[in-house]
Amino acid sequence: MKVRLNVNGQAMEVQARADEMLLDVLRGELDLTSVRYTCGIGVCGACTALVDGEPISMCILLAPLAEGKEITTVEGLGGDHPVQRAFVEAEAFQCGYCTPGMILTAKSLLEENPEPTEENIRAYMGGNLCRCGCYPKIEYAVNLAASASKAAAPIKGGA
Amino acid sequence: MTDPRVTGALRYSQDVAMEGMLHARLLRSPVAHARVVGVDASAVPEGIIVLLPQDVRDLGGYGPQIKDQEVFPQERVRYAGDVVAALAAETADEAEEAVGLINVDYEELPAVFDEVEAASEGAILVHETTNISRNDAAYFGIRPQQGTNICHLFRLRHGDVEAGFGEADAVVEETYHTAGATHVPMEPHAAVARWEWDRLEVVTGTQTPFNMRTDLAGLFGIDEEKVRIISPPMGGSFGAKTFVRTEAIAACLARKAKRPVKIVLERDEMWMTLNRHPSTVRVKLGARSDGTLVANETECWANTGAYADCGPGVAQKMGFAAPGPYRIANVRVDSRTVYTNLPPNGAFRGYGQMQSTWARERTMDLLADKVGMDPLELRMKNLLKDGDKYCTGETMHDVHFERLLQDAADAVAWSESWKNKGLCVMLKGMQTPSRAAIAVEVEDGGTYTVRCATTEMGQGAKMAMRMMAAELLDVGVEKVSCPDPDTDVVPYDTRTTSSRSTHMMGRALKVAVADLKENGERGYGEVVDEGGLDPDTGQGVASSHWHQGTAAAEVEVDEETGRFRVMKLHAPIYAGRVINRPAAELQNEGSMIMGLGTALFESNEFAEGQITNANLSDYNVPAMDDMPATLSHELVEREGGEVQGLGETALPPVPPAIGNALYSRGIHVTELPISAESVLDAVDARDGRGDAWAKAGSEPVSTDGRNDSPGERVFASGTAPEPTTPVNGSDGLSDQGRLASVRFLLASPSALLLLGTLGMGLLAIALYRLLHRRGEAEKKAPLRS
Repeated sequence: MKVRLNVNGQAMEVQARADEMLLDVLRGELDLTSVRYTCGIGVCGACTALVDGEPISMCILLAPLAEGKEITTVEGLGGDHPVQRAFVEAEAFQCGYCTPGMILTAKSLLEENPEPTEENIRAYMGGNLCRCGCYPKIEYAVNLAASASKAAAPIKGGA
Repeated sequence: MTDPRVTGALRYSQDVAMEGMLHARLLRSPVAHARVVGVDASAVPEGIIVLLPQDVRDLGGYGPQIKDQEVFPQERVRYAGDVVAALAAETADEAEEAVGLINVDYEELPAVFDEVEAASEGAILVHETTNISRNDAAYFGIRPQQGTNICHLFRLRHGDVEAGFGEADAVVEETYHTAGATHVPMEPHAAVARWEWDRLEVVTGTQTPFNMRTDLAGLFGIDEEKVRIISPPMGGSFGAKTFVRTEAIAACLARKAKRPVKIVLERDEMWMTLNRHPSTVRVKLGARSDGTLVANETECWANTGAYADCGPGVAQKMGFAAPGPYRIANVRVDSRTVYTNLPPNGAFRGYGQMQSTWARERTMDLLADKVGMDPLELRMKNLLKDGDKYCTGETMHDVHFERLLQDAADAVAWSESWKNKGLCVMLKGMQTPSRAAIAVEVEDGGTYTVRCATTEMGQGAKMAMRMMAAELLDVGVEKVSCPDPDTDVVPYDTRTTSSRSTHMMGRALKVAVADLKENGERGYGEVVDEGGLDPDTGQGVASSHWHQGTAAAEVEVDEETGRFRVMKLHAPIYAGRVINRPAAELQNEGSMIMGLGTALFESNEFAEGQITNANLSDYNVPAMDDMPATLSHELVEREGGEVQGLGETALPPVPPAIGNALYSRGIHVTELPISAESVLDAVDARDGRGDAWAKAGSEPVSTDGRNDSPGERVFASGTAPEPTTPVNGSDGLSDQGRLASVRFLLASPSALLLLGTLGMGLLAIALYRLLHRRGEAEKKAPLRS
């Protein structure tokens, strides 16, 4: 079936089976490989994309359910988004496989809560796993991005 | 240039595509041990490539240290998950559907899963004979005990342990068990294979391109030069992506299909491919009344599963460093690699060191208790110093254990009180003998290319190579590139394991750059570290340099429920000279966090040999909200110090530090991971209550932590922490965060309406698991009240 989407600012129509997850459409049809297969059951966050601004696991989102939604992957942030810059500055990654999901979740956190506490960050980011264990530096990156956004206020995140 | 990891532009093995490639799926045995009576694939539709046992009958065997693997087992399957057949189709879904159409008849055989039982006389045999591999990964004397399941027995003999125990005033002995764990690289195993005429090319995320080349060439009976391995960056590995995993099957399918074939494993298959050795370790320690260690007797059983993989090497390392960084006149170690009918176990960050360190360092605290000494003082009294001889007979150099351990102790204010605190110190060897080779090429315009077989799995190897080369060449790091390893192009090297690459390649690079400066266009450098141990006496040179690590932990325990929380973790390790500080910090923090998972919740669970928690909901790895309130570390450098590998050193010390912190309250746990139940049992044992008592539900005596110093235990004076309130223990769930991903679906009524059966099913399973898991955790508390 056909599904109308807006992906990274571009309106488009994609082909998907009724039982197909959006992950396969993004990776397969659209070659957006920043969205990554890992757990397949929505618990690790490696396939996170933003659906109308909310971080969602693409591996358990049926493609037809995304009809009419705005999908943002890390490719859509360009490369100079404050959260991306903060991750680079903090060196908050090793293999980088979970990083796109981390960045999108952090972006969403900071939009909901521009000045998160340590507890806020750990709870919100707790659904994104990093097996390399870069958590201390990821936490630092989120704090860096928060202070950068604060310095640049009132401009907020935004793709 | 923005880092490709933040833009998603980095392409991993999983992202590799070749024109016209097919996608494969594997059929695995559901039973742990069985004769394969027949395989019927007649129902598979035409057009799908089917690879059956008879298609690979004429191929050779393979295996890095013991040649015990076949592409598909010809006679019997040896574990639940052993691959029996494979299919390739235009899409992975098509192949998946066809897997269900193959019918296999099994005649079940009795199976053995426990390593000690499997090593005993009369156990059923997993393999009839043991052939040592000619792969260079079999670099030490392997001693199979023919007619048993022991495929390697390593022995270390130093002094006379009987005499040693004879002169001991205090002797303690305990047996420990550590669970199997899995690596959980975020990226699963992914490989693409194709044949061009008689030449095989495999693009695969692997730490061991040349070992893979040897094994695949041997399998197909072709020259090594006819096999080309390319290793793109990996989305994590931690030892998982070593030696031949799915590549032999991909190559066979590609040969049959005459098209490239790609295999990406499903998540649950990762647990059926390679795991960490479950182990049993028995330690007996003797000391004089002043704390001087006089004897250590250690026995290790490393459960290597159905195929040895590098299990002999793991047991050897587990064994030769088991006595720890102490001066002990009399040492006897027997360490065995044991076949069982579990999935294969192989290299895992720490490489055997975690298991024997857990056992020894827990026993050191038992001994401290017995002789009435401060555990820090007992360790300090016996630590190896520069110039001391280790029990292998080698002289120790560049030794920093005392400094590291003192730093660890200071970080938790040990001198004020050691209540709720624990320490650990350990040494870990680097593969010895070892050689490394590297080439440096210069192009017009002053740019340089470093060519080496060192693979990138997130550890920062490429950047370290580029930085070291830039420093030696006196150019900016942007002038130096380090392409993905390609066995057609890079000099031969053993493998990217054992935390040896930065150390060994760094030295080879110096030679290569000197050669380049002399010869103009291409410089070549090679270094060789001699050494090795006699496998029957454990004498020789175990390691050309030693990784030295320590950790301190502080815990809070709720003795009513057995739940505990790690409040503080600090790991000072010796780093020699740091090349890239942020990358080195990431390696160390990552090791600590993996050690935390090992201590708290990582455990492969089996029922009749079938893995029962092969998903990331039932198998927990640490998430951000599992971090201790304070997690810190130290990379101790020395002026003029050598570059050290840092990839593993901080993992093994973490679980014993946590176990010893519990023991500071008299809570003696012997198994990893440490569950709330085992803590409760240990509290009961400490307070002299049996299991039956706990089950009868009688009123507990006070266990409020104020008077929990049992019997003769000696605690330092000073302020003991107040008893704690129940804490969000160590079950590793990150419910809030993980629920966020389904929040959207539940909150949107229109989405709910649209939700198909499949989506509902998946959600229900995920939610059920989450809630069930929480329910279980909550149930634990009322049991005792």
